[in-house]
Amino acid sequence: MIACVAVVGHQNNPLYLQSFTGADDALKLHHIVHCSLDVIDERVNNPKRSVITLNESYLGLLYPTESYKVYGYLSNTKVKFLVVTTDLDVKDTDIRSFFRRFHAAYVDAVSNPFHVPGKKIISRIFAARVSGIVKAFAPGTYG
Amino acid sequence: MANYLAQFQAIKNTSDRLVVAVEDVSDLWPSVKEGLEKRLPLKKASLNNKTRNPVYVENLQAEFILTTDSRLRSRFPQEQYLFWFREPYATIVLVSCEDLDEFKTILKPRLKLIVQNEEREWFIVFVSKAHPNNDQATKNAKKVYARLEVDFNTRKRERCCKLDLNGVDASFWEDFDFKIVESIRNTLDRRAQFYEEEIRKMSEQRLMPVWNFCNFFILKESLAFMFEMAHLHEDSLREYDELELCYIETVSTPGKQRDFGGLEHGDDQAALLKPGFKPLSQIVQDDSFREFEFRQYLFARQVKLLFRLGRPLEVVMRGYSFIISFSKTLALHENTLPFCLREVWVISACLAIISSTSSTYDGLAAPDNEKEFYRLHGDLYSLCRIKFMRLAYLIGYGVEIEKSPVNSASLSMLPWPKPSIWPAVPEDASAKVLAKEKLILQANPRMKHFNIQRKQLPLEPSSLLREANRRRASLSVGNLSELIDYRQIDGSGIDGHQKFSPSTTNSMSRTYSGPNLESSLSLDRPMRISEVHVAAEHALENTVTDPDLLKSLSSLEEFEQKYMELTKGAADNYHHSWWKRHGVALDGEIAALCFKHGNYDLAAKSYEKVCALYAGEGWQDLLAEVLPNLAECQKILNDQAGYLSSCVRLLSLEDGLFLAKERQAFQLEVVRLAHSEMKHPVPLDVSSLITFSGNPGPPLQLCDGDPGTLPVTVWSGFPDDITLESLSLTLTNTLNTDEGVKTIKSSDAHILKPGRNVIKLDVPPQKPGSYVLGVLTGQIGNLRFRSHNFSKGGPQDNDDFMSYEKPTRPVLKVLKPRTLVDISAAVSSALLMNELQWLGLIVKPIDYSLKGSLLSIDTGPGLMIDESHTIDINEYAKTMEDKVHAHDSNTITENNTHPLEPKQLYIENGKIALPDWASDTSTTLWFPVHAIDDRMARAASADSPHRQNMVDGMRTIALKLEFGAFRNQIFERTIAVHFTDPFYVTTRVANKCNDGTLLLQATIHSQVKATLCLYDAWLDLQAGFVHVRKENGRPVSSFFPLVISPSSTAGILFSICIDNMAIADQNEVVQAESILNVMYGISGDRSNGAHSPTSLKLGSSDKLFFKVAIALQRPILDPCIAVGFVPFSSNCLRVGQLINMKWRVERLKDLEASPSSSCKDEVLYEVDANPEIWMIAGRTMGHALLSNARGSRTEITVTCMPLVSGHVRPPQLGLPAMDDANISCNPPGPHLVCVLPPTLSSSYCIPA
Repeated sequence: MIACVAVVGHQNNPLYLQSFTGADDALKLHHIVHCSLDVIDERVNNPKRSVITLNESYLGLLYPTESYKVYGYLSNTKVKFLVVTTDLDVKDTDIRSFFRRFHAAYVDAVSNPFHVPGKKIISRIFAARVSGIVKAFAPGTYG
Repeated sequence: MANYLAQFQAIKNTSDRLVVAVEDVSDLWPSVKEGLEKRLPLKKASLNNKTRNPVYVENLQAEFILTTDSRLRSRFPQEQYLFWFREPYATIVLVSCEDLDEFKTILKPRLKLIVQNEEREWFIVFVSKAHPNNDQATKNAKKVYARLEVDFNTRKRERCCKLDLNGVDASFWEDFDFKIVESIRNTLDRRAQFYEEEIRKMSEQRLMPVWNFCNFFILKESLAFMFEMAHLHEDSLREYDELELCYIETVSTPGKQRDFGGLEHGDDQAALLKPGFKPLSQIVQDDSFREFEFRQYLFARQVKLLFRLGRPLEVVMRGYSFIISFSKTLALHENTLPFCLREVWVISACLAIISSTSSTYDGLAAPDNEKEFYRLHGDLYSLCRIKFMRLAYLIGYGVEIEKSPVNSASLSMLPWPKPSIWPAVPEDASAKVLAKEKLILQANPRMKHFNIQRKQLPLEPSSLLREANRRRASLSVGNLSELIDYRQIDGSGIDGHQKFSPSTTNSMSRTYSGPNLESSLSLDRPMRISEVHVAAEHALENTVTDPDLLKSLSSLEEFEQKYMELTKGAADNYHHSWWKRHGVALDGEIAALCFKHGNYDLAAKSYEKVCALYAGEGWQDLLAEVLPNLAECQKILNDQAGYLSSCVRLLSLEDGLFLAKERQAFQLEVVRLAHSEMKHPVPLDVSSLITFSGNPGPPLQLCDGDPGTLPVTVWSGFPDDITLESLSLTLTNTLNTDEGVKTIKSSDAHILKPGRNVIKLDVPPQKPGSYVLGVLTGQIGNLRFRSHNFSKGGPQDNDDFMSYEKPTRPVLKVLKPRTLVDISAAVSSALLMNELQWLGLIVKPIDYSLKGSLLSIDTGPGLMIDESHTIDINEYAKTMEDKVHAHDSNTITENNTHPLEPKQLYIENGKIALPDWASDTSTTLWFPVHAIDDRMARAASADSPHRQNMVDGMRTIALKLEFGAFRNQIFERTIAVHFTDPFYVTTRVANKCNDGTLLLQATIHSQVKATLCLYDAWLDLQAGFVHVRKENGRPVSSFFPLVISPSSTAGILFSICIDNMAIADQNEVVQAESILNVMYGISGDRSNGAHSPTSLKLGSSDKLFFKVAIALQRPILDPCIAVGFVPFSSNCLRVGQLINMKWRVERLKDLEASPSSSCKDEVLYEVDANPEIWMIAGRTMGHALLSNARGSRTEITVTCMPLVSGHVRPPQLGLPAMDDANISCNPPGPHLVCVLPPTLSSSYCIPA
């Protein structure tokens, strides 16, 4: 299950964070996403260390812990997309396609002329679309 | 083969180095032993690794063992085959012989027997005991050795070397070393090949039922062990890696139910670094090993090799991933394992890896590796910490664990342990239950500062109470409904307790009644949370064997100490790595504990770090969680500046993060502190809380030197109104940065409303340029705040820390000095002299308001303002319009479009205050003025029209306009106004009649731009002239009224005659000049020029009176001398041509009659010439001889040169000594001569 999706700006500032746990505990997800930036930073700053070449946007599994996983995706403009999932058995291709759709939704949202670049995304349409992507992702994983 | 496991283990333990067998044929060992053993360990050995590539091994350990030694003798062939790795890798045959025959007959066959075993690697050391002085012995030994070489050396390989006991040759040892290494290498290669072959064969059977992992293991490990003995650790490690892979594959094969292990005492402590923790024979199970022990064993072997290879980083890397993967494996078997064994194992494993590697890492590796190393250590600490917290939570310390995002993220997503049956409450545990309840009760959740109430973050994945009860085998389904109720109190031990508290007394009484009842009770009803804790604690005590861990869980203090140690360990290591955020987040946890223990100083420092991180990257949600804690620390530490700053930061967080009530509390604190007795004013940056911008729209424009009022929009992020004692803003000139910044202040206190406020600031006069807003500063009590933040016109936004840019939009433009107003005369044509006239002034503001301006008027000499009259003012444009419509009207049409506009002004002390309506429009001011000229106008002769000098009619008026908001702008100008008489008069005698009547023509030239109307004119004649027929001096009266259009002329004829009688009255005061009196009227428009003064004085007669003096000259009555101008000899004069001017002077009368003449024979003459026209050569004045006799004549000649061409008046000869009346001139009046331009000449230039 996807616990949380987040968009983080190129200065590591949160642009969008949505929790899907249902509980009132988004703060811990804020923490997880924020700490995951360490891993992205490390990969971006030490390209030779990273397994995945940086030519690709998809950063792969960032953060395997016992209880959850964080996947990352980095756009050309250094906007980071993160997904926290509590499902420990996720196919890489599923996550990849998820990120592509997520990225597309983000691009549409920030193309809004009323959106101020670098500011939080407050578009309800974006939120609805992301929720839709997340919902669509879940059955694919289990099915 | 599995039976050999124990033996295999024993062999491994005893043999740790390569064995070299010594076949002591000639009993030489005691004498050579010392020398040989000195060569060990072998300094440098070139061996082949598994892939047959040469590897240089240093200090290769080996041991010499005599073949007669029991260790080599007692082995069965089967054993030898199995444990080949321990067999000698080389055989040294020691021989000595000095007799050739003996060698041939005895030694050689024996040696042949020894070396016939092909599998052995051998070489012969021939020991010569011969003394060097003993030539015979030496010779014999040489012979024998030579024979030995022939017999045993082959072409491919030399197998003999010679050792002289007396005097060892250095080359021998090299040879010896080489031969040993060569033998070892060959043996190693052969054995490795053998093992590989065997392993390959066995691998092929892996899927067959006969497959036995133990056998495979023995072979594989033998190979690994052999490599290890040969110091080929890399190869050894690879063998173990392969072994591990193979094992995992084996155990994961479905179908076979295997024992996992981990149930023995002490299994809770990881054996990651102790390969010999348990003998392999104990963990063998069927054809394989128990996973729990065996995987740890394999890992321990790997770690040992890695340490030998000097790779602690790899130890940590492999260690961490091993722990994670093994933890997962443990989770799969959790229902068979002791309660929480998984957690306990992970804790000990992490600590073991940390302690083994932290000392070995020398820090000499690449910085990248170092960071990675620290990161992994941090991960290990962190993992250990999480598991430790989980254990602590289970036994009831959860209430004391900070419910922070860090802990929540770690714990709330980590599933509970899943034992098959949740541990039950031990018997006689009532006292412990009571203690736990007490602990829960006493632990009051720390109220956050500012009364911030938040739902606490969960530390448990699901309710522990529910989970524990669900996993109790005995609990019936019926109780679930009860449990659902408890679910609502998830994560809150206290509430849970309170829910159950009514039943506490019951359970207590029953607890005392007996164990049977207790057990039945535990079956009947769900456990209470305190009971769950007690049960968990009891179960853990059984699981944990590590006394340190037990101690750490024994009390809250011990727990917190260990917790602190682990947290610090994790944070410190993360700080040394790339993962700074992890480190800082954990600092927050350290701070929380420090705070709890009253160590506020440390807590504040750590919290500051955390806040700085979150604030720097804009993670406001997280910041909002930590910042109140920091504020509280600062408050306790009495760090007022810090506390204030924290409060302000709290206020500047996003709106949704705190309730309005809480935000008001922050503000109250700020205000309270600001007005408290702080010793020093505290400077504070409130950029995120108070932002400002100029007003939208164009910037305020000020003229140079003008003060102004600048409206500034200030956004207040305070939830309530806040009073600012002072407020100032800096202005920066964008064009000229050298000037620095100017501060403008708002004088009075302001109350900022939440949101948008417009504040007006007074701007003193600034230098020209364009100004942008700089910094906002102000004061609230003792709080001096600054804000650098510009809001962009929208609501305050805190996210723009990254789009921070100075707006270039100027708010103020001070224009370069320019003309702001212009005052000019409304009329350029002349006004009437000596009459009251309207003087018009056009006051024209040039894009500048003249509101409140004051006009000072200072008239020059000969001009005065008639202050008895009001001053008219009207719009200039309208004046022009009026002029179009009423061009022929004498009065100005009043336009009533501005009924309230005052049209009449008064002058006071020479100053006029301009009305407000006139501040932005061009206006015309009309002053009544009176120019005075005492001189009487004179008529000129028609022949020499001499116009009135313009300067005479010029009057000046000095104007000074003070205007601008503070009358700071001054405009000064002096305006010249031209006054003139209404006309000038020229006269000439039109005709001389035969009867002596002279017709005097007076031509009246109008000098004004107005129509003159002559009503009457009469001439008062001077003495010597009288009007014909004694009339009253008027011309024919029917002429009048005579209208003269502007700039035109009119003529009047007077008939006069010479009065011969008048001469007789010598004594009478005679009128020297005739006066022409004119009664006239004028009809003009003041906007055009001269006009009737009657428009000023209503009701007075509109007839004006004007006098002109006319000089009449009586004809020459008694000519004595005649002067005649002699015509030029040439027809024309040219410029630059010298000519002689001649006058002929003739005496008409004898001079006796005039006795006044002193010089009888001469006459004084003077040549009068315009110097601009004529250049006179020679004297212009002199005496010419002229006798007194009548008829005497003379000629006066003057040489002169004309300078200009045209018709000019020639020089005139005057006779100053004679009365004009006695001179008769020819020609009688002024005459003109024609001067031609000069002839063209290239050599002659006319001066410009």
